[in-house]
Amino acid sequence: MNVVTLGVRNAFRNRTRTGAIIAILGLSIGLSLVMLISYQAVQQKISDTKRSIGNTVTIRPAGNTGMIGGNSSTLSADQLDGVKDIDHVSDVTEILTDRLSTEGASEGMPMGGGTAKTSLTSPVELKKSTNSDGVTTYSGGGLMLAGGMPENFSPPITMAGSTNPTAGDTIPEGSAITITDGKAISGTKDADEAMISEAMAKKNNLKVGDTFTAYDTTLTVKALFTAKTEGANNTIIVSMPTQQRLSDRSDQVSTAVATIDSLDNLKAATTALQDKLGTDGDVTSALDQADKALQPLASVKKVALFSLLGSVVAGGVVILMMMIMVVRERRREIGILKAIGASNLRIVLQFMTEALTLTLIGAFIGLVIGVVGGNPITASLVDSSVGDPTQPGPMMARPLMVNVGDLKDIQAHIGASVLLFGLGGALIIAMLSSSFAGWLIAKVRPAEVMRQD
Amino acid sequence: MIQIKNVSRTFQSGDGVVTAVRNVSFNVPTGTFASIVGTSGSGKTTLLSLLGTLDKPTEGSIEIDGVDITKLSDHKLVAYRRKQIGFVFQGYNLIPNLTALENVVLPLSFEAIPTAARKQRAKELLTQVGLTEAQMGRKPARLSGGQQQRVAIARALANKPSLILADEPTGNLDTATGKKIFDLLHLLTRTEDTTILVVTHDLPIAGKTDKAFRLQDGELL
Repeated sequence: MNVVTLGVRNAFRNRTRTGAIIAILGLSIGLSLVMLISYQAVQQKISDTKRSIGNTVTIRPAGNTGMIGGNSSTLSADQLDGVKDIDHVSDVTEILTDRLSTEGASEGMPMGGGTAKTSLTSPVELKKSTNSDGVTTYSGGGLMLAGGMPENFSPPITMAGSTNPTAGDTIPEGSAITITDGKAISGTKDADEAMISEAMAKKNNLKVGDTFTAYDTTLTVKALFTAKTEGANNTIIVSMPTQQRLSDRSDQVSTAVATIDSLDNLKAATTALQDKLGTDGDVTSALDQADKALQPLASVKKVALFSLLGSVVAGGVVILMMMIMVVRERRREIGILKAIGASNLRIVLQFMTEALTLTLIGAFIGLVIGVVGGNPITASLVDSSVGDPTQPGPMMARPLMVNVGDLKDIQAHIGASVLLFGLGGALIIAMLSSSFAGWLIAKVRPAEVMRQD
Repeated sequence: MIQIKNVSRTFQSGDGVVTAVRNVSFNVPTGTFASIVGTSGSGKTTLLSLLGTLDKPTEGSIEIDGVDITKLSDHKLVAYRRKQIGFVFQGYNLIPNLTALENVVLPLSFEAIPTAARKQRAKELLTQVGLTEAQMGRKPARLSGGQQQRVAIARALANKPSLILADEPTGNLDTATGKKIFDLLHLLTRTEDTTILVVTHDLPIAGKTDKAFRLQDGELL
């Protein structure tokens, strides 16, 4: 009758209690694993998102949030003078945007454009939705219209001039563009040339080489592009000098995007840029903006971490209480074992085996729960935290470079390391709890137990 | 030979001190069937615990075959108890989820004895105390009081101890069964060359032992 056999047999001495303990342990270990899986998946998503955003810093006029229809103030070329010379700034893209009314459709209407017009029609299809208060809204392409839809309304179109027209920062929502037809225009050449999205070309029956008007000027389509978002596809891209000329805002810049030579220098460069611009401009690094956009995921991470700690502690307490209960219940038996010559170590090992047996079975159940529940629970946590990207919200309230839909695209991976971590953690807790039980066992004096005979 | 010299044991009880055993001295030659008799609270069980190394005296010394057990470290005491002392309790104190055979095998498993040899020895002992093969496979709850006490005696003999301490071994048994157990212990003194010290409050039983010591209020009369 070796100590392991005795310990394993003792684990099943009271089947009802053993079943209850295993069930609680299984749930606790399972929850720990699910939370660990969620934590790792969200952490990975945050890291990947930050890595994909890159090392850029956005410069806007003070108070200009970059929201469509918001503050339209601009920075002057003088104010941006010298930005390129700041340490670690490797490149600067200057952008000037405007909103154009569609011919006879959106001028003077809610969310409509300014007085400048274009002959194009927006490809954006506004979708109707009604919230719980019964308010009807129409949204799409970064636009939102509350209340009823005015007659003949058609969404305005964004026109963006850029010194680097193919850069993702040029267009709303920071979506990178891909040229699908024609040749990308130069960002520094003043010419009546433009790039439009395939969606806009299709909506207006245009192809490369065709013309349209904006600011009462005829522009030639030099290239077609695709972008990931509806808002980005609702943009006409021209060179910076062209936009400044057409909108009669020479030397004006609405946004400048500085590229920093490395992520390590991002913070220092951001500070230097803010110092340079003083109160005239707001300087935000991509990482700052990403942090804000990733706030929901950070919250999920925090919830997962606390839940993980909570369930680990709960599991530990269950094992500890079980061992205390077992030791108290079997004080006499411990006394007998000591009286017939069992050492403290042998008795502790026997109880430790008992705890490990229960924990291993609980861990197995927990692993099954973790494997089955890891993905759906992670998805549910992220889903409830991030919100629904199809529902209307404040326009561009989220930073340009992070797509909400992308944030929800999280795949939790249940790797061997997670399973080993869960199993190892459970066993360590079981051993620690058993050690406490061992201390209680060592304190049992056989003479006292015998006295109760 | 057991030599007890001026042994006292006191306990802290609330604000006061209780003396359970006071200045007790006596000798028991090897192979003797001896008894300690006294009323409840006379200090019998305390004295038995001291002799069984389950407790240490506050004063005095206890020598068994020349070894002063009061001076042994806790670690050595465990080994000493395992090899030299066997216990028989009034309430049998068998491990409830083990069979009769496994209960006897248990103390043998504390020593480096091959499994087959352990089983063989346990079976021999259980046969010696009168258990059948079928009874050996039963758990204590399915054995009578007399059978359980026989198993307890077999367990006490497992490691061939030089001293068996029995605390009211017939206390929970009817007269006829109690007599059989007593006779069995008496027989073992001869066959196993073991010293047996029985604690009892039953004077007629004490009268049948080779040597009887009477305790009253912790003192030897």
